[in-house]
Amino acid sequence: MSHTTPMVEDGPTGADRLKPFVPYLLVLPGLLFVMGILGYAVVGGIILSLNETDMFMNKTFVGLKNYIDVFADPRFQDAMVRTLNFVVISIVLGIFMSMSFALVLYKVVRGRRFFRGLSLVPYFVSGIATAVMFRFIFTTSGGFVNTVLAQLGLPAQSWLGDPTLAFVVAIMANCWFMVPFASLILLGGLQTIDKDLYDAAAIDGANPIQIFFRITLPLIKPMLGVSLIWVSYISFSTFDIVLALTSGGPLKATELVSIYMYELAFQQLNFGQGAVLMVVLLVFNTVLSLIYIKIFVMGDRRHSEAGK
Amino acid sequence: MAEGYVEYRNLRKSFGGLEILHGVDLTIPEGAFAVLVGPSGCGKSTLLRMTAGLENVTSGEINIAGRMVNNVHAKNRGIAMVFQSYALYPHMSVEDNMSFGLKMRKTPLQLITDRIKRAASILKLGPMLDRLPSQLSGGQRQRVAMGRALTREPEVFLFDEPLSNLDAKLRVEMRAEIKALHQRLKTTTIYVTHDQIEAMTMADLVVVMHDGRIEQVGEPLAIYDRPANLFVAEFLGSPAMNLIPGIIAQDADGRVVQTESGLRLPLEPEANGTVGQKVVYGIRPEHLQLDPAGDLPIRLTLVEPAGWETHVHADLGGHIVRMVSTKRVAQRAGDSTTATIDATRAHLFDAATGNRL
Repeated sequence: MSHTTPMVEDGPTGADRLKPFVPYLLVLPGLLFVMGILGYAVVGGIILSLNETDMFMNKTFVGLKNYIDVFADPRFQDAMVRTLNFVVISIVLGIFMSMSFALVLYKVVRGRRFFRGLSLVPYFVSGIATAVMFRFIFTTSGGFVNTVLAQLGLPAQSWLGDPTLAFVVAIMANCWFMVPFASLILLGGLQTIDKDLYDAAAIDGANPIQIFFRITLPLIKPMLGVSLIWVSYISFSTFDIVLALTSGGPLKATELVSIYMYELAFQQLNFGQGAVLMVVLLVFNTVLSLIYIKIFVMGDRRHSEAGK
Repeated sequence: MAEGYVEYRNLRKSFGGLEILHGVDLTIPEGAFAVLVGPSGCGKSTLLRMTAGLENVTSGEINIAGRMVNNVHAKNRGIAMVFQSYALYPHMSVEDNMSFGLKMRKTPLQLITDRIKRAASILKLGPMLDRLPSQLSGGQRQRVAMGRALTREPEVFLFDEPLSNLDAKLRVEMRAEIKALHQRLKTTTIYVTHDQIEAMTMADLVVVMHDGRIEQVGEPLAIYDRPANLFVAEFLGSPAMNLIPGIIAQDADGRVVQTESGLRLPLEPEANGTVGQKVVYGIRPEHLQLDPAGDLPIRLTLVEPAGWETHVHADLGGHIVRMVSTKRVAQRAGDSTTATIDATRAHLFDAATGNRL
């Protein structure tokens, strides 16, 4: 084929030289579009965080003053600790639930497609609707959970009125929203595993728990990484569900950084400090994602050197 | 105590309401290399997986080394299996792949090292121990899969179509390597394949399967020379045996098989079958030869010179027959000539039952 074996005299033609760049040219418009929107928001946010901005959007550069004020603010410190608790518990619980659902869905033979479709429904319900539904379920008088407790002869609980319980309910609502998509990612990973490996492992004498930890888990590491990124990002950034569920209460028990950011920027109109919180969330999300990618996606041994 | 090393007694397998194996009875002696061969869907892989403990037994018995293993877990059956896909753990090095089973059994570390060393030297895997399966060629992966089985030092080796993912040249090499390995280790082996050449060349004992039943069991050449029925006759041998329907008739020189088109095919005097019986006359391509002095008129339709042998397709009284000659053939397609049949090599099958007469 002449176009792949250029003559020495002629050298490669112009089209040949462009060929390696074609894929990049094709993704360029989309990439620019996404980078443009993301870049505008991120750069705009960082600029906001370094300025004092009044409600007419007049800016005065103040350097790191907003950062110093925010980090010294006890209400921010509380929100940060609360958010870290919320995120860690959500990640552990969320990944455990996602993995369980993925494993169950993987095993379902009859009605497989139906159940896989059904499992995604919570993901398609908007955050506000999810919050309203959880309020119905956990309302103190006449709520679903308290009604069931009453039937069992157990005392009613003030689910959304008690600080600890409200925090727990907020985590449950968050998991309800984020688990379906995470389990779909993990299910996709499970389906890439050659079933013969399970047979080989059974003959090799591995029990189901050993098979899970020594075969299944290492082989879905990249997908585990992606679902961790998803679960962490959703938990750090969760806003609408918690706002509609508890508005950060009771007694600020569910006031996460994202809720406080909203309060600062849009209630107190302190755009500078609100933007600082945005930068803090951005840094946490980015650093965590990079760690996940390093450990789970790049660290996947199968692709460590030349492939096939 | 069973006399066979691996024994199946009236073994049946159903998936849902569908019966896949219809009562298999088979005895494989200790140290034998048994090949289960048959077309896809004949139940050979199911039988192997049941032996491995990867499928439940619906009814009947499987015995390994005198022990009924129907309800024994795969890991405790003393078997090792080589899969068609090799089933190497992609995230483990060659060495870890080979040691995984031993580690799961809490084998002492020193013993693991010794066994891996031994398997690696037998299979020439030494330089590859640190590599990942994705860094190996198909033939190397195949050897690792065998190495993993070897380190287990099993009582029975199970192979499930292990060569079907290799190219033709490598397949021939690995075929010889597996056979040489068996001759060295003398471990009882059950090998599943749909390739009748693998069955013929590798087996001590060929088990021809079809539609969930065993059609014939025996040494490769014994089956080749005396196929028990039409299925086996057609399945074993390449090119396949020529099969021509006809009726046994009385001729001046003795009995012959007369075809619809009036062709008279010779029979040896000792041949079974009675005059007037409807039969299928079978003759292998190498026993039907071009012969200018022959009495069977044929017209060549295709000549395929393969170097050391020549395949000839020809029209014999309306039937397309195949001949294999080790002589070079001067005639070309379209030429008319004559052929002879070696009557002592003719096979007769009952047309109604398909069984050998």
